[in-house]
Amino acid sequence: MSRDPQTITIKVGFGDQVRELVVTIGEGDIPPYQVGDRHDEVGQRRNRVDAVAKVTGRARYTYDRKGAGMLYGKMLRSPHANANIRSVDLSKALTMPGVKAALDFVEVFKDRSARYAGCSVAAVAAETEAQAEAALDAIVVDYQVLPFAVTTEAAMAEAAPQTGRGDDRNVSARGLRDGESAADFLARIADQDQAVQEAMKGQTVVSGRFSTSVQTHSALETHGVVCDWDGDNLLCYCSTQGTFGVRRDATASPQLRARNARVVAEYVGGGFGAKFGLGREGVAGALLAKRAGRPVRLMLDRREEHVDGGNRPDSFHDLSMAVGRDGKIVALKARNWGTPGNGSGGAGARNQAYYAIPLVDKVELNVRTNAGGARAFRAPGYPQGIFALESLMDMAADAIGLDPLEFRRRNDPHPIRIHEYDLGAERAQWQKRRNRNPGAGSDPIKRGMGMAATEWFNPGGGGASCLVRIMRDGTVEVRNGAQDIGTGTRTVMGMVVAEELGLRIDQVETFIGDTRDPQGPGSGGSTTIGSLTPAARLAGYRAAEQLLGLVAGQTGWKAEDLRLRGGMVVRKDGGRLPREMSFAQACALIADEAIEVTEKHPMVGSGRNASANYEGFADTNSGLQFAEVEVDTETGKVRVLRVVAVQDSGKYLNPKTAESQIRGGVIQGVSYALFERRIMDRHQGHMLNADLENYRVVGALETPEIDVVLVDVANGKNNTSVMGLGEPPTIATAAAIANAVANAIGARVTSLPITPRKVLEALAAKGRKR
Amino acid sequence: MPADRDDSPGRESNQNAAISRRSFLKGTGLAVAAAGVAPGRALAGPGSDQEEVPVFGPGPVPIRFELNGEEVRVEVEPATTLLDLLRDRLDLTGSKRVCDRGSCGACTVQVNGRAVASCSILAVDVTGQKVRTIEGLSSAEGELSPLQQAFVDHDALQCGFCTPGMVMSCQALLERNPKPDRPAIAAGIAGNICRCGTYQNVFEAVEQASGQGGGK
Repeated sequence: MSRDPQTITIKVGFGDQVRELVVTIGEGDIPPYQVGDRHDEVGQRRNRVDAVAKVTGRARYTYDRKGAGMLYGKMLRSPHANANIRSVDLSKALTMPGVKAALDFVEVFKDRSARYAGCSVAAVAAETEAQAEAALDAIVVDYQVLPFAVTTEAAMAEAAPQTGRGDDRNVSARGLRDGESAADFLARIADQDQAVQEAMKGQTVVSGRFSTSVQTHSALETHGVVCDWDGDNLLCYCSTQGTFGVRRDATASPQLRARNARVVAEYVGGGFGAKFGLGREGVAGALLAKRAGRPVRLMLDRREEHVDGGNRPDSFHDLSMAVGRDGKIVALKARNWGTPGNGSGGAGARNQAYYAIPLVDKVELNVRTNAGGARAFRAPGYPQGIFALESLMDMAADAIGLDPLEFRRRNDPHPIRIHEYDLGAERAQWQKRRNRNPGAGSDPIKRGMGMAATEWFNPGGGGASCLVRIMRDGTVEVRNGAQDIGTGTRTVMGMVVAEELGLRIDQVETFIGDTRDPQGPGSGGSTTIGSLTPAARLAGYRAAEQLLGLVAGQTGWKAEDLRLRGGMVVRKDGGRLPREMSFAQACALIADEAIEVTEKHPMVGSGRNASANYEGFADTNSGLQFAEVEVDTETGKVRVLRVVAVQDSGKYLNPKTAESQIRGGVIQGVSYALFERRIMDRHQGHMLNADLENYRVVGALETPEIDVVLVDVANGKNNTSVMGLGEPPTIATAAAIANAVANAIGARVTSLPITPRKVLEALAAKGRKR
Repeated sequence: MPADRDDSPGRESNQNAAISRRSFLKGTGLAVAAAGVAPGRALAGPGSDQEEVPVFGPGPVPIRFELNGEEVRVEVEPATTLLDLLRDRLDLTGSKRVCDRGSCGACTVQVNGRAVASCSILAVDVTGQKVRTIEGLSSAEGELSPLQQAFVDHDALQCGFCTPGMVMSCQALLERNPKPDRPAIAAGIAGNICRCGTYQNVFEAVEQASGQGGGK
């Protein structure tokens, strides 16, 4: 078989947008799924393979793991929003009943700073949870308490206390001078881009200030580990979205000095971006287990998860957009700031996106505060930035007297989304459901519809392998060590292999979430499906090839004429074979125990120029969302009645799980639009709503009807033609809802979440203007 | 919407069939004495005017109850929640502790048919009662219940962490109201948070299980 790069012609696209493309595909790869391909398994609505384990309670998550003699680990957390730790005294705690080990984090992590309330400072392991909790109370920490700033606004103020360590300044931005305040900086650079200033002259200019709140991931399973040692080898059950990253952290940890580490995450109770890496809780759990010589379970509780489990930064945007008489965007000016808390990442908000905007002048500030650190959160930077951009788009359309949908269409260069406007408008009944007279009428309940766009860019990367094993008894195993955090990865991995073997998904066994199996990606950036399924499909294809080789050897039939389909060996051309042979009969020809094939995600080129993707129909996947809302102008309460989500994402390998993921993204978007915000006590520095009733997320009563429209695209960017779908469906929702509210009441709420109070304030401000 | 959740049919049982840790500690518990088991030293009969308060412990006390159709006898420390007893002692890990204060529904089990947040009732309070967990929903041969099958068919789960509690709330709902309409289903699971966002799929699953919707 040839292993050289191959140049082939494929048919890519969707609907009547089909074209032929000459592409070079990777070494040993097979042609991507393309227009006109017929599949038996791929593209069918299949039940998730782990659904039965989940509905019966048999699925064992990290939190459910238990080892013989297992201890319970707990961490002590700083009650101060900003402090230096002078000393930690564990001596009394170590004498408490049931306590088997304790850790001083100053010693373990060489870190004397506790820069937010809830920062971990020590840990214990004890026979029972209650004993561990009691022991935490016996730990004596001597803090040097420092002044703090827990909100973005407070940390940006001129005389704000220093929120970080060493020489760290509270505000960082490109071009910020030493000693210059954020306000002075913003004033100095207000008109810095002459080209933008010039271009805006004589055009219609709309401006607005927008803001969003800190959102916590609130995965139902918290961060945590169950750790056990066998000599220097660590077994680590971890609630993670990156098994191999956790393994790397464990073996690289100077504290743990593990010779090897096996990380297991067969079931993960949600991630949403917050669960990469071993984290302090993971190191602590492993180290406690090592010191105690017994397994330790250390899981965060709900409060800890809120304050120390990551979040989406808040954001503030000053935006101006200039639009020409032809309805084309001329320029965008953006100033953003926000806080990633005391984390290491930035607060970036993405609002120079989607549309053809010839000139952009954007400056971004990161503001460090004394609050828990941000982590990647489902489309980092997008929901907040797009809320601002898409609000401004509606304002601009209004200013020039264009329908917001038409205005977007005129400025949209996306080769797929441009065809989705009509599709979405029809399904959402855009013309009919738009409120022609926003805010008018005597009925206090107003209805409106708004829309917004989405876009994402991940057809997957390298770094994934898949093992397919066909046993002589006809059993098929598909193995990869990455995790399925609820996205359906495991199911589609099995489906693409089943397709190659002519089987149904329920005739193959899938194994996932164990670093003993072949490498796989972390589930971030919507990369998993695009990284993993091309490797799985290729491994399935090669395994089938070997099996058919055995068949040919035994029967004298020509291997290249054969394929596997419907549980049988059949002729590719549909003709009859001299006799019937089932898949099981073919497997009986295997001389050893099994055919085993491991394939990597194919790459084009090598070294630095290596690429995991081919030229395809489009480099990004896109979509539109339409929200219909009802606003009670007396109470300010917003109800989202319906969301239409039009979404392309390359080839839909399993429309059933894809639809679920889109619905879920929309629901998180509704939650972000209406409810979610971390509330900090400015005086004490604590998060006030670190639970699940005061930190509100959407429940069944508030969930809208969601109508998903899948636009199936043979993209061609990898052999399964798939694009990642985790992120895109949550990007546009809040923006579409905000635009719908404005359409309903004739006043715009420019801040998320859209609480009743903000609605009433917007209505009052409109009243004053009159 | 905590107020909605508290008022929802799915949560009524929290007030009626169970007592919270706090009310128990205050000595106003009521269920134990009626159960006729003598777990502690002093017992007041139901309706007794005497403020004789049942006292358990401090050591472990024996309790007996029906769990998924089988009798369980076990000694528990009086402060043990039903959830911790199920998970830590009886290795029934389907029910999850997520919020640990009755606001998310992930620990939902049935006590005498009603949906109860097992994180917020004490193990001693189920003495003499019938408890059903997610593990008791499928048949002994492992066959899924129609409701579980409907969850599978409608993909009413993603990460699956809320699923056992969600299924149990739906089960209790269907026993109370065999043909719930959508608002009734939404109210029935108003106390169950699903962070992945499967509510609509759950609606569809309950409709299928109650014979109101087609397969998928």
